[in-house]
Amino acid sequence: MFSVTTLPPSSTLSFADDIPSSHRKHPAELDAMDVDDGGFEDEYGGAGPSKRTVVTPGEVITSSKEYMRGHGTYVEEVNVVSSVTGTIERVNKLISVKPLRSRYNPEVGDLVIGRINEVGPQRWRVDANGRQDAVLMLSSVNLPGGVQRRKIESDALKMREFLAEGNLLVAEVQSLLGDGVMSLHTRSLKYGKLRNGFLLTVPPQLIRRLKSHFHHIPAPCGPTGVDIILGLNGFVWVSSGTSQERREGGEGFDAEGVYSDKNDDITPEGRQAVSLIANLIKLLAREGVPLTETLINEAYSWAAKNVPGDGPLSDRDGERMLLEVVGLDIHHRA
Amino acid sequence: MSSSRLEILNDGGLRHDARRPYELRSTSFLLSTHTASSSSSSSSSSGLTPPDGSSTVTQGLTSVQVTVFGPREPKQRSQAAHDRATVVVEVGVVPWAAGGGGGAKRTRGDKRLQEIGAAIRQTFEPVIMTHLYPRSEIAINVQVLAADGGILPTSINATTLALIDAGISMLDYVTSISIGLHLLQPLLDLSQPEELDLPMLVVASLPSSGKITLAQMETRLHVDRFEEMLSLGTDEKSGR
Amino acid sequence: MVREIEPPLVQKEFLLAALAEGRRLDGRLPLEMRKVEYIFGEELGCVECRLGKTAVLAQVTATIAKPRDDRPYEGFLLINSEIGPMASSVYESGRASDDEVMITRLLEKSMRRTEAVDREALCIIAGEKVWHLRLTLHFLSDSGNLLDCAAMAGMAALRHFRKPEVEVIGDEVIIHSPDERAPVPLAIHHTPLCVTFAYFEDLQPILDPTHLEATLCEGTLSLTLNAQREICVLSKAGGTPLAADEIMGVVKVGVDRVREMVKHLEEELEKDRSTRVVEVR
Repeated sequence: MFSVTTLPPSSTLSFADDIPSSHRKHPAELDAMDVDDGGFEDEYGGAGPSKRTVVTPGEVITSSKEYMRGHGTYVEEVNVVSSVTGTIERVNKLISVKPLRSRYNPEVGDLVIGRINEVGPQRWRVDANGRQDAVLMLSSVNLPGGVQRRKIESDALKMREFLAEGNLLVAEVQSLLGDGVMSLHTRSLKYGKLRNGFLLTVPPQLIRRLKSHFHHIPAPCGPTGVDIILGLNGFVWVSSGTSQERREGGEGFDAEGVYSDKNDDITPEGRQAVSLIANLIKLLAREGVPLTETLINEAYSWAAKNVPGDGPLSDRDGERMLLEVVGLDIHHRA
Repeated sequence: MSSSRLEILNDGGLRHDARRPYELRSTSFLLSTHTASSSSSSSSSSGLTPPDGSSTVTQGLTSVQVTVFGPREPKQRSQAAHDRATVVVEVGVVPWAAGGGGGAKRTRGDKRLQEIGAAIRQTFEPVIMTHLYPRSEIAINVQVLAADGGILPTSINATTLALIDAGISMLDYVTSISIGLHLLQPLLDLSQPEELDLPMLVVASLPSSGKITLAQMETRLHVDRFEEMLSLGTDEKSGR
Repeated sequence: MVREIEPPLVQKEFLLAALAEGRRLDGRLPLEMRKVEYIFGEELGCVECRLGKTAVLAQVTATIAKPRDDRPYEGFLLINSEIGPMASSVYESGRASDDEVMITRLLEKSMRRTEAVDREALCIIAGEKVWHLRLTLHFLSDSGNLLDCAAMAGMAALRHFRKPEVEVIGDEVIIHSPDERAPVPLAIHHTPLCVTFAYFEDLQPILDPTHLEATLCEGTLSLTLNAQREICVLSKAGGTPLAADEIMGVVKVGVDRVREMVKHLEEELEKDRSTRVVEVR
């Protein structure tokens, strides 16, 4: 009579993260997670937290006398009850439920990619896939003409010349304001306006906090390589590669060009390389595979070896890539 | 009232579609029906982003699709509340969805849909933990793809699933069902022809506490009969 | 939609504290209604109903129209209930707010769908001529609970109204002016009236919420009942979740209240009738 169906991702281009699948997680991340997940077999065993890995809203997890409630839970009478569908995470006495899918949840220090929505008094409002627009204060950006320059009134009048509505930028979460609004900053030469590439959106939970979110795939991949920026908010920027100095803001850094809107000339080979990398990322994201630098590198070297001449990726090639690189067989999933 | 002469319950105790009185129609729940692939959109506005949650619920020949956007920056900033999220509901019916009752000709359609929308909003406002998302907006879009009775209960069920899919904090599921009464026999999950002929009650409740968040009835019914239907309704909502 | 300014916090706390002691700001008991007052107009079918400071004017008019092809024996009853800015500044003319839609739909359901007025009795010549009744509700002032007030005004107007006597001779229809023959009342099956309850967290429900109570409450439940103990419409859209027996509790209260209200309405109608001199020449 009843059938509860989750669409298989490959056929409908949806993400399969409704089913927590440990095989998708990169081994390093499994180790890093400090979750007590022993003994899944005995459901509701004992007085401790429910041993089920996935809980849904309204489901009692445990007693609130022994445990503290974290995100994704609420307390009703003496019970800690889940308020989202997700996996239970326990750190000592703190119980929280991590939703299987949700909007980006910002934390201070996160690297995000955003789009300018509005230019306001002394600030920009940035759509960064969060619950509300983020703010980027004029005082938190680097302006041409020296890093430590004071912001003067004429800068405020020229704000739209630096960043106008629709511009994309990469920034870091500086702080969270009272009601959860992200305040961003771009006070590093790594951050700022984006050009020479294009934006992908993937579910934010596929992007883990990594040591670096700037990746560079070197030269055989296009004449100058390809740069990838993995924004923690699920926005991914894939662009034509730049030189080492430029990337690190060294000698060759063109301070005046930071706010340029003009794309450089990109050769057809360079464009092909960018779109190949973007397609690989899309493919991995479609199947709910968390993105890491190594994974993208592996996927690229697989493609370089098996796909002749940087051509477009066929469906069959894509499936083979998933099978051979990630070990994911989309035709015979459990 | 109705022009059709439909046999609600035959001598064998079966309904016009061969269901038993308490039998539900065949039901399917689909989650995440709307996650577009990682959209390559260098120039797309935020309006082109895929919904945060979606679901399609089919109950018999009624099919409803719900997408949930948010919590996001409110489209109209004046609508934002400083201490909680606002819930916005939009209901649409595709032109070919009209059931057998010739509903397409309904000129008051707009008001009916607005009423369904208001009912959905008021049902979910207290259930969603809106205080967790201050100054933001949760937009629920309900699209009726096929109508064969029970649009409101089906929409409520689909909205619950879409909200869960979006990872929005809620106190509990909300499940809903329609109940009709034929002579003294209550019937569950009415189809369109039955809906036209019978007094109908729609109940939505929270499964874990059994409490009723929504109850709507629009036909004359004696108080004592009502009591029976109501308790039946709360017993039968164990949707999943 | 214009968003109303939320009442000050102190006012909210005061109201809730008072309610916790079982008192309401206007001195009523939790399940007591405000005073209902009917003001009958000069014309038959024109009634203003006042519920405290909430006021709704209802006016019934009748014209003759051609029936629908699929319902040749049925007359029309049209309910016109647009809430304009006269009632309160939150209402905009033209655009219907959620509240307005709810009120309109509930009125529609309680008066039309429950067949309060026998529409077949409005037939003059089958398929040719029927009475087309138009009930227009003017919302004069909103001090809470517009719905109940409108339902009372509407039903009072329908019961107060007299349609001219009609004579059919062959194909010819003669409409007698009220001076010639006494106009006849409508055939009314029952008198559905509406009662609204407001819920506050952890408190007993209150009947007939004022505007302030309605903005501060957690949810409302509207019931349309008649004196025959029949529920015509029940609408609880969201708000605080309630157990089934809590709903049954207010239904029982509603049954009693509605019986009193119908009795009161009938007394008032009778009083008005006695003041009118019906001359038949």
